[in-house]
Amino acid sequence: MMLQVILAISAVLFCFGLLATLTRSNAIMVLIGIELMLGAGNLNFIAFWKFSTHPELLTGIMFAIFSIALAAAEAAVGLAIVIQVHRRLRSVNVNRATQLKG
Amino acid sequence: MNTALNLLHLLTPESILVETILVVLIAGLFKATAQKRNMLLSLTLIGGVTAGAMLIFQPHYGNIANGMAVLDPLTRFIKVVVLGLSLITAVYAVQSNIRQHFAEYLALILFTAIGMMLLAGTENLLMIFIALEMVSIPLYLLAGFLKQSSASAEASLKYFLVGGVSAAFLLFGISLIYGTTGATSLRDLAQSAPAVTRDPLFLAGLVMAIVGFGFKVAAVPFHLWAPDVYEGAPTSSAALIASGSKVAGFLILAKFLAIGLAGAAGSAASSQLQPGWLPLLAVIAAISIVVGNLAALSQSNVKRILAYSAIAQSGYMLLGLSATGGTALISVLFYVVVYALTALGAFGVVLHVEQRRGGSQLHHFEGLHQSAPGLALCMGVFMISLAGIPPLAGFFGKFYLFAGALGSASQGGNLGLLWVVAIAITFNAVSLYYYLIVLKHVFVTPATHPAEPVTRRNAATFVTGLLAVSVFAIGLYPGVLLDPLRAAAQAANRKPVTAAPVQPK
Repeated sequence: MMLQVILAISAVLFCFGLLATLTRSNAIMVLIGIELMLGAGNLNFIAFWKFSTHPELLTGIMFAIFSIALAAAEAAVGLAIVIQVHRRLRSVNVNRATQLKG
Repeated sequence: MNTALNLLHLLTPESILVETILVVLIAGLFKATAQKRNMLLSLTLIGGVTAGAMLIFQPHYGNIANGMAVLDPLTRFIKVVVLGLSLITAVYAVQSNIRQHFAEYLALILFTAIGMMLLAGTENLLMIFIALEMVSIPLYLLAGFLKQSSASAEASLKYFLVGGVSAAFLLFGISLIYGTTGATSLRDLAQSAPAVTRDPLFLAGLVMAIVGFGFKVAAVPFHLWAPDVYEGAPTSSAALIASGSKVAGFLILAKFLAIGLAGAAGSAASSQLQPGWLPLLAVIAAISIVVGNLAALSQSNVKRILAYSAIAQSGYMLLGLSATGGTALISVLFYVVVYALTALGAFGVVLHVEQRRGGSQLHHFEGLHQSAPGLALCMGVFMISLAGIPPLAGFFGKFYLFAGALGSASQGGNLGLLWVVAIAITFNAVSLYYYLIVLKHVFVTPATHPAEPVTRRNAATFVTGLLAVSVFAIGLYPGVLLDPLRAAAQAANRKPVTAAPVQPK
């Protein structure tokens, strides 16, 4: 019963994140959306680990720890890229990035 | 303790690459000159070749911590290939217009190489996710490395945003697969997956994971980044994205589906009953082939043509993956390796034209056969091989791929695949148009550009020539590549008992 509730929360979180990446035009907000989606994945891992038949294996929690570290690395690189884009385009609006198309 | 020692032993080549990165970064602190770039490249190549030699002389089999790090002949073969592709990219980088932070650029290429090697050598979802990010994150930076160019920044932003979303999809998908099966090792997954193939949670996880992998190989739902990134990124970075990252991505997608989820595809008899990944893959393949080939027709930039052609080629490879016959994996890997060599070579020619004539539009290629006849010939070999015309390697790749797909159809399992093969062959004819348009500009249209200085030989053109020769040689004797692949795959299937898997904890 509890597991379903947590899964529902993580699914909602994932959808909010996806919605943010699809609708927001500010690159920072898109970045936050991606972080929400990754967070939803981590929440799933913890929930599945907590309610699994072999919680002593720690697989889920290891996965969550590693993916938090990766999400941090990705956010760092992402912010660097956003700064670079701001230097070139004077804006972090993704709709302004239209030089390449076709 | 023993596990740690084994792990160190198994990952010696990767460790050597890490040390190379440190040496290159320290050497990069000294004052920048033209000689320094060559010196840094030599350091990179020495480290890379040492790592490659270590790879070849490693023990044949290894399996640490339930598939976290595995080594078998097929894995080793792919590791050598991705390492070689990365080193060729490093050679290209010296000729490209990257002047600042050259040591960091080489270090990022090596980081990508390590990620790709780890990706090739793992059978665990956790390591797959970590290694995929280890490939993606340096590639985002490599795409945006031209700091003075706004196109490069934009390419990097687009690559990063799409890549980030697809990584999130992959993570969420893996979490659902872990939740429903309780396994992260692909071998464990293979045992527990058949029990849950109708669980909607599992199917959702499967689809999301395939979407995540689809980004890496630029298949249609997540392909939109490819043309912009290929165009905006520095050419050497685009070459790495097109070749090495694609080989690693396809190997891991093949492993994920063929080892971990073989049960979820459904056996030949029950595939009509089970919704599995086969129909999904076939549909993605067909759409990729159609969209890639049609969109390439209207392009005027050779890098964009190569990008859309890459999307179409991904479709062919996915078609190969969805044919689960006995030799299907071999034919897909043969195709992927040949494609990577060809694409890398084509980018070498593009790099030369870009440096000499300041762009990669079609008109920049006009009259290339007069100013650089050797490179023009190479471009001819690459384009004709990509189009799949007989004497070249690309033809045999397509031949084995389609034969494999139809072979599995004749076994009665996937008769549905016939329509994908028909689409593939039809649109292959369409693709001739844009490949030959490039060659028309290279060979037929007279040069309108002012005469340029005679080409000086350099390492990048030499490597491009070497790639053309190898594509030609593989076309004449497909066995050169096919036999080692086949032997490696057979050896990988006969796992000896001596390589006892070490259990976690």
